[in-house]
Amino acid sequence: MTSRPILALTIGVGLVVAACGGGDSIQVEDAWARTSASMQDTGAVYMTIVGGAETDDLIGVSVDSSVAEMAQLHMTEMAEGDDGSEVMSMHPVDEIAIAPGEQVSFGPGGYHIMLMPLAEPLVNGSEFDLVLDFTNAGSITITVEVRED
Amino acid sequence: MLVVLGLIVAGCSEPTLAGIVREPPPAVSEISLPDMATGGEEFSTTAEPGGLLLVYFGYTNCPDICPTTMADLRKALTDLGDGVERIEVAMITVDPERDIPDRLVAYIQSFFDDGHALRTEDPAKLRTAADAFGVSYEVTTGESGVTEVAHSAFLFAVDATGHIVVQWPFGTTWQDIRDDLDKLLKKET
Repeated sequence: MTSRPILALTIGVGLVVAACGGGDSIQVEDAWARTSASMQDTGAVYMTIVGGAETDDLIGVSVDSSVAEMAQLHMTEMAEGDDGSEVMSMHPVDEIAIAPGEQVSFGPGGYHIMLMPLAEPLVNGSEFDLVLDFTNAGSITITVEVRED
Repeated sequence: MLVVLGLIVAGCSEPTLAGIVREPPPAVSEISLPDMATGGEEFSTTAEPGGLLLVYFGYTNCPDICPTTMADLRKALTDLGDGVERIEVAMITVDPERDIPDRLVAYIQSFFDDGHALRTEDPAKLRTAADAFGVSYEVTTGESGVTEVAHSAFLFAVDATGHIVVQWPFGTTWQDIRDDLDKLLKKET
């Protein structure tokens, strides 16, 4: 019977830790890339970055040459075409600020890490490593899951 | 009187679609481009009777928008069930220089087995096709020598009369596309 208060206390502590947004360090969640289509020689990696205790900046990315020749921070956004109509265009981004506890989503139509050109097709179910460079947190290696989605 | 009533009833039963319906529906029946999937035969951007033709302007080196749209469309068609056999998909490359025929065919058919791969090396012909759909595109070479492509990111549905009946902007969920296709197919029958 004495175990119940301890259990309750443990759960309580767990909730408090969870509420703090995963602690002091920056977190990267759900990193994935879409299975590449035939002949598609570029790829995009998506993820969610959760800020740590202090503001940090994502300043670079790199990937092993067995995956792609280069990796680059990119953003897709709506721009104005020559005729004034809306077009989607992509451009490299030098850095992305991550505020404390902030969730920054990388997803289709927004921030992504562009892989170009791919060394091999991205095969459903496979994984590869990617290195994210932050000003304060330094280099963090993450595992990217390849899926159809 | 009966005719008038009939028209009113028909007017009320127009399905509400999640995508954008342009009024009047733009006609694209005059547009035809060589289909690399059939050795370059001219392919008209008009659906078969009772069917729908889905048209997308994109390019195979596109890492983000195009594969996301194609993957979402594949999900919509896989989940659609009855009537899916009346839908055809065509991709028109806005980057014909890099999208050589075999490459374009392999790309679109990795999403859709019978996908049409439309490509022309005549810039005026491509521009005419894009204008008919209301599509803008621009292929430029950036400072670093990397080719950059900006393009309208709509997926279009064309009916058997060659009119655009709906267009979905990027970001439309695959479920909305599926539901719109379902409604449109019921209307086509």
